[in-house]
Amino acid sequence: MISDDLTGALSLSLIDFILSFVFIAGIGAILYLFPYINKLGEIKEEDKY
Amino acid sequence: MIDFGELMEAMLMQTGLMAISVGNIIMIIIGAIMLYLGIGKKYEPFLLVGIGLACIVTNIPGSGLAEAGGLFHYAYQGVELLILPPLIFLGVGAMTDFGPMIANPSLVILGAAAHLGIFIALLGAKLLGFSLAEACSIGIIGGADGPMAIYTTMQLAPHLLPQISVAAYSYMALMPLIQPPVMKFLTTKKERQIIMKQPRYVSRLEKVVFPIIIIVIVNLFLPPVAPLITMLMLGNLLRECLLLDRMAETVSNSLLNVITLILTVAIGSTMKAENFLTEQTLLIILLGLLAFVFGTASGVICARIMNKLSGGKINPLIGSAGIASVPIAARVSHIVGQEENKNNFLIMHAMGPNLAGVFGTAISGGIMLALLGH
Repeated sequence: MISDDLTGALSLSLIDFILSFVFIAGIGAILYLFPYINKLGEIKEEDKY
Repeated sequence: MIDFGELMEAMLMQTGLMAISVGNIIMIIIGAIMLYLGIGKKYEPFLLVGIGLACIVTNIPGSGLAEAGGLFHYAYQGVELLILPPLIFLGVGAMTDFGPMIANPSLVILGAAAHLGIFIALLGAKLLGFSLAEACSIGIIGGADGPMAIYTTMQLAPHLLPQISVAAYSYMALMPLIQPPVMKFLTTKKERQIIMKQPRYVSRLEKVVFPIIIIVIVNLFLPPVAPLITMLMLGNLLRECLLLDRMAETVSNSLLNVITLILTVAIGSTMKAENFLTEQTLLIILLGLLAFVFGTASGVICARIMNKLSGGKINPLIGSAGIASVPIAARVSHIVGQEENKNNFLIMHAMGPNLAGVFGTAISGGIMLALLGH
């Protein structure tokens, strides 16, 4: 898929670095919504099995 | 009549003494230094004792423990079949509180920013003549995540496992020495003194939902690293659901200890003189250092930019924690912060980027594996 030379290494690095930011930003965006989960209910700490 | 001289000579020939090479002796000394650092200097004894001892035993000719059929050889099968790294992650997940990461989503980006070192080392390795698969494995050292480095290397360049795992774990142990000079060089005294706002409270429900969502995302978008992250999140779910305390306790203590022992012995058993004492090893160790330095630097620079954008609310020292290596890197941020201001407790703030760094490394590794067709 990617050539085994310096151009290939450079392309792979660029794609990987940019996609890593996209994925991490996606996880960050989902985490921004997490406080809303609390509107669904709660788990009490004393509910231990 | 028995010729005692001949008998002694025959016995001597059966020992490893006659087959020992200079390379074996050098590796035995390296193993002994690892044991000294682990036991004498208390640098990561959990890792260095197993690796050091197995390195010594493996380089004694005739011991046979690392040969096919030997006990260390079977330990190595756990690495080769990619069973041990996910089990390590299971234990790590069960002992980790992801609350600091959930509490401050904006800092999650540092988990990607602090991985520039991966790509600097990758390009450096390619320039030095390594194949692309080898260069990717070397680059992942900069992810500062031992199991992930092993996992990626075993799929891309298994012959480099001893050098890469030793470099990754050694630099992780040496982070308190490597990171502070870079962090201080790239920040001002005033920035290092910034006290950050207390993160919000994260409910139990959020902590239970988090691993489930991450498992779905990773299995959907990053299947090459799904075994690692799924096990990390399974371990975390055992911890957070409050119903499986005994299981969480077992995987985070007994199981993790056993797996770590087997893994370290397996890594040490690959450190044979003929594989390890090469020019490649020296280059990999230098590239690994480069990866750690650039990763630390890029994390701190990104945190500085975020600090400017937030109006001075983010201490740039937490940026270096994005490199992963939980919780060592977060602890380094905290210690460097305390050197400037005794009342500054950065550990909880640094844990967010630090935990995000685990995902950052996994994402980078997953993309590499996908792009290289694994």
